[in-house]
Amino acid sequence: MTLATFSDEDLLRRMIAGEEEAFAELYKRRQAGVYRFALQMSGSPEAAEDVTQEVFIVLLRTAERFDPARGSVAGYLYGIARNYVLRRLEQDRAFIPLMDPVEEGTTPPSMIAAGDPLDDLTRGESIQSLHDSILALPPHYREVIVLCELHEMSYIEAANVVGCAVGTIRSRLHRARGLLLERLKAAKERRSVAQEVKPARCFA
Amino acid sequence: MNCNDFEAIAGDLSKDGLMEAGIREKGLEHSASCPDCAARLEDERALTGGLRFLAGTSAVEAPSSVEAAVLAAFRQHRTESSVPQQSRFSNRRWIYVAASVAATVLIVGLLVLNASRSQTQHTTSQTTTAATSTEGATNAAPAAPKESPVEPKAEPRNNRSNRVQHRGITRQKPSQEQLDSSLTTEIATDFIPLTNREALAQMDGGQVMRVELPRSALMSFGLPMDMERATERIKADVLVGNDGLARAIRFVR
Repeated sequence: MTLATFSDEDLLRRMIAGEEEAFAELYKRRQAGVYRFALQMSGSPEAAEDVTQEVFIVLLRTAERFDPARGSVAGYLYGIARNYVLRRLEQDRAFIPLMDPVEEGTTPPSMIAAGDPLDDLTRGESIQSLHDSILALPPHYREVIVLCELHEMSYIEAANVVGCAVGTIRSRLHRARGLLLERLKAAKERRSVAQEVKPARCFA
Repeated sequence: MNCNDFEAIAGDLSKDGLMEAGIREKGLEHSASCPDCAARLEDERALTGGLRFLAGTSAVEAPSSVEAAVLAAFRQHRTESSVPQQSRFSNRRWIYVAASVAATVLIVGLLVLNASRSQTQHTTSQTTTAATSTEGATNAAPAAPKESPVEPKAEPRNNRSNRVQHRGITRQKPSQEQLDSSLTTEIATDFIPLTNREALAQMDGGQVMRVELPRSALMSFGLPMDMERATERIKADVLVGNDGLARAIRFVR
C-alpha cells in the first residue's frame, strides 16, 4: 500500500508521527487547491506562494488540533489559507487595486488557460472581466464565489471553511452572484460604448 | 411564483443542480411568461458558464520552491520537536540510573547471599564429623568434611515406643521404609557433639533417633537459618547413649 492510497487523515497522523513522506504526499495532494484559492482571492502569485507556504507551516504546528468531526483536512487547510489571505489583503490593501471592471489586462497570466479553447475574443474578454469582477468583490463575497463556484465546494464545506452558518453562505453567494452580474453588465456596456466611440480612420 | 421568488432561485436554476422538482417547474414556467426573469435566467446561466470555465482553466500549482521550503520547515520542526524529548529524557535520566543501580545492588546482594549460604553449608560440613553408623557415632568426633546420604542404622528397641517426649523435643524413631526412602534423598551434616569429647569417647553404645525440631534450633548450633522459614520444622538425628543421654546431633535435609 502506497501513501497515495491513504486518506488525508491517515497522512496527517503519520505526519504528526514524524514521517516526512506522509507530509510530502499531503502537500502534493492539497497544495494546488490551497494555492489556487489564495491566488483567486488575492490575484497575486507572490501572495499565493506566501500563503501556501504559511498554510503548510502552520499545519506542522497545529496538526494535533485537527478534529475530523469538524471537517476534512482540506477544509482545515482552506480555513488556514483563508485567514492568511484575509490578513494579507488587510496588510496589502494599499497594493491591491480595487479593479474597475473596465480595467482589463490585469489578470495574471496563470489564471488564464494557456490553450484557450474559446477563440471568440468577446468570450475571452468576458472571462477576463469575470475574473476581474471576482477580484473586485468584497472579501466575504469573493470567498464564497471562490469556494462554492470555482472550487465547487458544497455549502456545508464552505461554511466550515468560513466558519459561519450554511444559510449565511447561501445568502452571500446569492448576493455575490448578483454583484457579479451587475459588474459584468456594466463592463459589457462600457465595452460597447468604447467600440462605438472607436475613432475611424479619416480618409479626407 | 412572482419575480421576487424567481430571483431567489435563479442561481440554482442556472446551475441545473439538485433542487425540488416542483420549484424548478414553477420557476421555468415563470421565466417563460416573464421577459425580465427570462433575461435574468440567461444572465445567470452565462455567469455560471463563465465561472465553470474559470474553475476548469485555472489549474495551477504552487512553485516547486514552496515545496522545498515547507519540506525544510518540516525537517526543522521535527528536529525542534525532538529536542524537548531529549531534555525530558535528561531530566528523567537520574531515575533510570537510580533504578539500574538498585537493580544491580539487588542482584549482587542475592548472589552474595546465595554464595554465603553455600559457603556456610560447606564450612559446616567441614567442621563436623561424618557419622554413618551407630558404631561410628560412638567414636564421633569432628572429621573430614562429608555431605553424604544418611545411612542410619535403626535398631528398634522392643521396650521403647516409637514416639517419646524428651526435653520438649519430639523424638520419633524412623521406620525402616522411611529410612530406606531417605537414603537417596537426604543430606545430613556431620554429628555435632552435645557433650564434651571425653564423655563422647567413653560412650560404649547408643542409638540414633530421628526427631523433628524447630528450625530455630539451627541457630543454637551456630548454623545459618532462613528467617522466612523459621516456623518450619527440621529433621535431625540424635545420638543417644545407652544411659539415655543425648550425645550428638546432626541435621538432615
